[in-house]
Amino acid sequence: MPEADLAGVAQGAGNNSSDFNEKFTKTILPKHFKHSNFASFVRQLNKYDFHKVRHNEENGQSPYGASAWEFKHPEFRADRKDNLDNIRRKAPAPRKAQNAEEQFSVQSQQVVVLSETLAATQQQVQQLQESYYEIINANKIFVDEILHLQKVVKAQHQVHNELISHLSKTEERRDNRQSNHTTPAYNAGQNLLSDGSEAPLELRRARDILNGLSIEHVADRDLNRMSVAFHQAGGSPESVGSSSMMGPPGAAGVTPFLHDPLSDMRHLVYPVGQNIGIDPFAPEHMPNIPYNRPGGDNGLPPTSDFSSTPSMAANTPPGLQGPSPWGSKKPVVLLVEDDRTCARIGSKFLSQHDCGVEVARDGLEAVNKVSGRQQPYDLIFMDIVMPQLDGVSATAMIRDMQPNTPIVAMTSNINQQDLEMYFQWGMRDVLAKPFTKEGMIGKLRKHLGSMMRNPPPEGLIDPMYANGGSAQPPTPGPYSNQGMGMAPLSATSSGPVTKFDTTPIQSPATSSSWHSPSQLPHPSPTLAQEHGGYLAAGSGSQMVLTPGGTQKPQYAGGMMPQMAQSQQRMPLDGPPEKRQRLYGPPGNYHQ
Amino acid sequence: MASDDRTDDHDPNMPDLGDAIDILTFSQILEMDDSEEDREFSKSIVYGFFEQAEETFGKMDSALESRDLDELYRLGHYLKGSSATVGLTKVKDSCEKIQRYGKRENVDGSAEPNEELCLSRIQSTLVSVKSEYADAEKTLKKFFDST
Repeated sequence: MPEADLAGVAQGAGNNSSDFNEKFTKTILPKHFKHSNFASFVRQLNKYDFHKVRHNEENGQSPYGASAWEFKHPEFRADRKDNLDNIRRKAPAPRKAQNAEEQFSVQSQQVVVLSETLAATQQQVQQLQESYYEIINANKIFVDEILHLQKVVKAQHQVHNELISHLSKTEERRDNRQSNHTTPAYNAGQNLLSDGSEAPLELRRARDILNGLSIEHVADRDLNRMSVAFHQAGGSPESVGSSSMMGPPGAAGVTPFLHDPLSDMRHLVYPVGQNIGIDPFAPEHMPNIPYNRPGGDNGLPPTSDFSSTPSMAANTPPGLQGPSPWGSKKPVVLLVEDDRTCARIGSKFLSQHDCGVEVARDGLEAVNKVSGRQQPYDLIFMDIVMPQLDGVSATAMIRDMQPNTPIVAMTSNINQQDLEMYFQWGMRDVLAKPFTKEGMIGKLRKHLGSMMRNPPPEGLIDPMYANGGSAQPPTPGPYSNQGMGMAPLSATSSGPVTKFDTTPIQSPATSSSWHSPSQLPHPSPTLAQEHGGYLAAGSGSQMVLTPGGTQKPQYAGGMMPQMAQSQQRMPLDGPPEKRQRLYGPPGNYHQ
Repeated sequence: MASDDRTDDHDPNMPDLGDAIDILTFSQILEMDDSEEDREFSKSIVYGFFEQAEETFGKMDSALESRDLDELYRLGHYLKGSSATVGLTKVKDSCEKIQRYGKRENVDGSAEPNEELCLSRIQSTLVSVKSEYADAEKTLKKFFDST
């Protein structure tokens, strides 16, 4: 065994250290230990747990001399060969374990670094997300602002038009009066025109300028779509609500730039960020969003003020017609009225008839409400004289957004000119003020007949009797009949002309009632006559279509005008009417 | 007609209201009450209208002082609407007059360029409408207190 020889050799080494060293290295090491280097031999010894014995003063001198290297092993003795088995190269195990530890710490360091990087990246993503939402919000504000400005411009455009037509009418009347003083001056208005002689030319010029301006801009559509998209992303419609979280397949095509990032954000990208799991545009968060929608300042408080009223709808009073007059869906009605008393009574009438009611206090609020709503209102009652924005201007704006929502003017200013104007700007009907419950419900029945559970059978015969007849003496009949609503519609050509080819306009009974001054609420008989004259002249072209003798059979076989209209509109309209079409009694739509 | 029946039901109460209040219109509001004991809804409507009317009268006074016919026209129109809805026929008629005068018209709707005349007409109408209103208010308050 090398160890035993080694000990012997070491012991046998002479005192001459330098000679011995040379001899030991050159002869003994290669011969006995396969080593040619003393230092490496010592390392080898150390590996076998031989350690150099150190001699200091107290221990006394080494028996082999001061320069001799003495090694010892706890198990080594010269006379104990049996112990040699215990002398072996030290097991590498502890060293290896240390290695793994090092590796592990390296890995964990890497993990730490990686996770730090990840955290940093996540933070970046979050920041990006935040700035993305900021940009979206800013963009939304811009779009809203632009739309709002457009509305204002449009309103002013209209106001200009109104002023011009008013002025020119005043001018005409002034001329008339100068020539013939017996002509009754109806609605003379303010004498805004001081220098009347030059006016017509200027007016014409002004009108030309206005007409030259094309208000409809190409970008408007995109803007509108963006605005709608914002609101779509915001409001959670009953039908799309849950599915929109997954990215609605239908809407994504229309507004990919909005929906895809949003859904990506939620489902594909890092699950971090303040908004995860929260739809920042969900309606319940809307009040928290730190920007003001145009007109929002005055928009919310009055609404909440009135909102206590619709809540009373829950207590449906006894004596009304059954549980609910409506079909699968209750209509939601917007009541635009600046007068508190009227608004409260009106919304009470409506809510007692099981309608959802929202109230806007002026035209501007109404426009904002309509534009902020995902599903169109089913019906809008619109006061005319209101602060901020009058009902006619509001109607014109709402028409741009919701071409099909019936808008019923509520006013006491019922004269020929006013009516003409209302219908020109998109009103579909007039409810005289002070309105009555029957009058209001009559309008519901007339315009929302398709939503009713049991559409009024009398409506199929003549809608006028449903609301305008004996049921409501205080409400004027003439303005609540269907023909009144239809004639100006065709005049503004807001619907397909073909509609009127197959549609009977008026029954003899109805048209005779137009001329009955007894039903007019207006005190002035002059106006009544004028009114009759207007009807004859204004809607004469439509009336030609239906010779009086053939009225009855046409009504029996054909649809009432309003039904025809609503059916034609259906594909354009939102879900409510569609649903109604699916579940409603099909018999009503039979031609 | 339901409203007619109601009117008959309330006949014992109605004569108190006199001719200042249109019973048909007013009974429509009463009909909206969930309970005839407390008359919560109609009472709040009518008392709300009182506030509104008094507020409007105040505005009319100051508009008259500043000779603002346009504002008087608006105020007349405004109060006309609510008074008509509640059924205060006389108040409504007077408001309509104020509206017309403010619009520089005569009662029949013909133009009246004389603003002085319009203002003085409004002044006297305002006096009478206030007393008509006071009568109606008294009647209505009595009605609601007795219920």
